[in-house]
Order: sequence, then C-alpha cells, then structure tokens
Amino acid sequence: MTQQEIPTLRSQLLVLGGLLILLALSAGLSRVPLGWWVLVITASVAVSQALLVMVVFMRLKSGHPALRIIAMLAFAWPLILVALTLGDYFTRSLLHAALH
Amino acid sequence: MNAFMPAAAVQQQFDDAPQQKEAAVLGMWAFIATEVLFFGVLFAAYVTCRWRFPLAFVEGSSQLDFPMGTAETAILLTSGCLSAIALRQIQLNKARQSAVLLLVTSLLGVAFLVLHGMEYHDEFKEGLIPGIRYLETGPSAHEMELFFSLYYVTTGFHSLHVLIGVVLLLIMALRTWRGAFCAQYHTPIEITGLYWSLVDVVWIFVYPAFYLVGNAG
Repeated sequence: MTQQEIPTLRSQLLVLGGLLILLALSAGLSRVPLGWWVLVITASVAVSQALLVMVVFMRLKSGHPALRIIAMLAFAWPLILVALTLGDYFTRSLLHAALH
Repeated sequence: MNAFMPAAAVQQQFDDAPQQKEAAVLGMWAFIATEVLFFGVLFAAYVTCRWRFPLAFVEGSSQLDFPMGTAETAILLTSGCLSAIALRQIQLNKARQSAVLLLVTSLLGVAFLVLHGMEYHDEFKEGLIPGIRYLETGPSAHEMELFFSLYYVTTGFHSLHVLIGVVLLLIMALRTWRGAFCAQYHTPIEITGLYWSLVDVVWIFVYPAFYLVGNAG
C-alpha cells in the first residue's frame, strides 16, 4: 500500500456539510405525503450518505483496492439476503395459485 | 520505523511498520464486513416485516420521537467527521489537537447515548416496549409489536456499539495526549476511526428505516 495522502480540512468539512444537508433533505421530505416515494428518497439519501462516509472519512478513495472490494462484498451479501427473502414472499402467491 | 516509534510496536511477523499497518487496516475492514452482515440480518427482517405490515410500520414510526432521532443523526455525522479530522491532525504531527478531537468525538457519542436513553425512557412511559410495558391497543397493535421489537433490537445493538466506540475513543484520546502516537505511527487511531465510522454508517440506515417511515405506506 502506498503512503496515504492527507485530506484537506476543507474537504472534510465540506463532506460534513453535505451530509447534514442530505439529512435535512431526507427529514424534510419524509414529512411530505409522497406515499412510497418517501421510501425511495430516504433510502437513496441514506446510500449517498453512507458512500460519502466510506469514501472520504473511511478513506476508501485513497486506500488499497482490496479494501474497496471488501467494502463492496460487505454490502453485497445483505443485499442478496434481502433479495432472496423478498423473492420468496413475492412468489408465494404465484406458487400457491399454480398448485391449486 | 522512526525514532518516536517503540520497537515493540512492530510485531515480529511483519517486515516493517507500513506492512503491519496494511494488515491492521485490512483486518479491520474484514471485521466491519462481519458487522455489516450482523446488522444486515436485522435489516432483512425489517424489510420482510415492513413489506407484510406497511400500515403498522407507519403507525409505529409515528410514535417515535422524530426531532430527537434527527438530532442524534446530526450528532453522529458530526462526530464521524471529527474522528476523521483527528486522524488527519495526527498525520500532521499535531498530537494535542488530535487528542482533543478524539475526546470531543467521544463526548458526542455520550450525548448520543444520553439522548437515546431519554427516548427509551419516554417510550417506556408511553408503554411502547413489547414484553415489558406495551399498552398499545387497536387493530394494528399486534403488528406494531414487530416494529417496536425490531426497533429495540437494532437500536439496542447499535447503542452497544456506540458505547464500545466511546470507550475506545477515550483510550485513544488519553494515549494520544500522552504522546503514544505520531505522524509515523498512528494505526490504532485509524482503526478506532474506522470502527466509529461503521457506527455512523449503521445509524445512517437505521434512522430512515425507523424514524422516517412517515407517509410511506
């Protein structure tokens, strides 16, 4: 691994500002009656915030590529778990209808 | 290795300090991956329950203290930034500044725990804790128990992680103040910062999942 570059104070504070703006956006829009769009918006904001924290504060951007692979795998497994579990729920009625 | 770094800091299985640091950071990321899997199972349970009982989750979420949850999120995000700046300062050999930043980070962690404890106390008074004091009635009361059970398990384990992080940060602040770390050797601060960011990332998903269900039926 190469010597890590030291981030500027400005970049760290800018990211914090971005995170707090995203928080305000998410909190504000969740109060608006948008139905399921609230879920889409708040989930998208959460993913953006998590990426900012991992890339900048956890220094994945300047870290070894192996760290980025581990980070991606760490989130891939729960996503597979959720996808397969929901797949089961989504298809139960179809299977039930086919069997009867 | 430099003059400030104790010889014992480099263990015999490593060639030099950079190699030891690589291994430590890689090991921490492997640990973070297992933690993500742990919380991932809880989120999978959450997604399933929310899919099955959407209205109960909306009703349950509306009983939580939204302003308090938002304040807790802002506190954790700020503390994550301060721990990242603490690492930056020690890399610039500003040990005292780094120590103070680590101390402030841990105090923000304590503030988070206090606010969350106040939330738990209010929820106990309102009878929202399944199995201990649950006073909800109505058509969705039983399904709402699932929401609150998931809420307490997830936030309870998260708070436990925050508590561990606070202790680690305090130890790091004390050691940094005493001059244990410098620009050339600061791996424990980096590892602790990674752990604290994990706590941050988990809460980033907990907050919308439980506090922002709002009108998303």
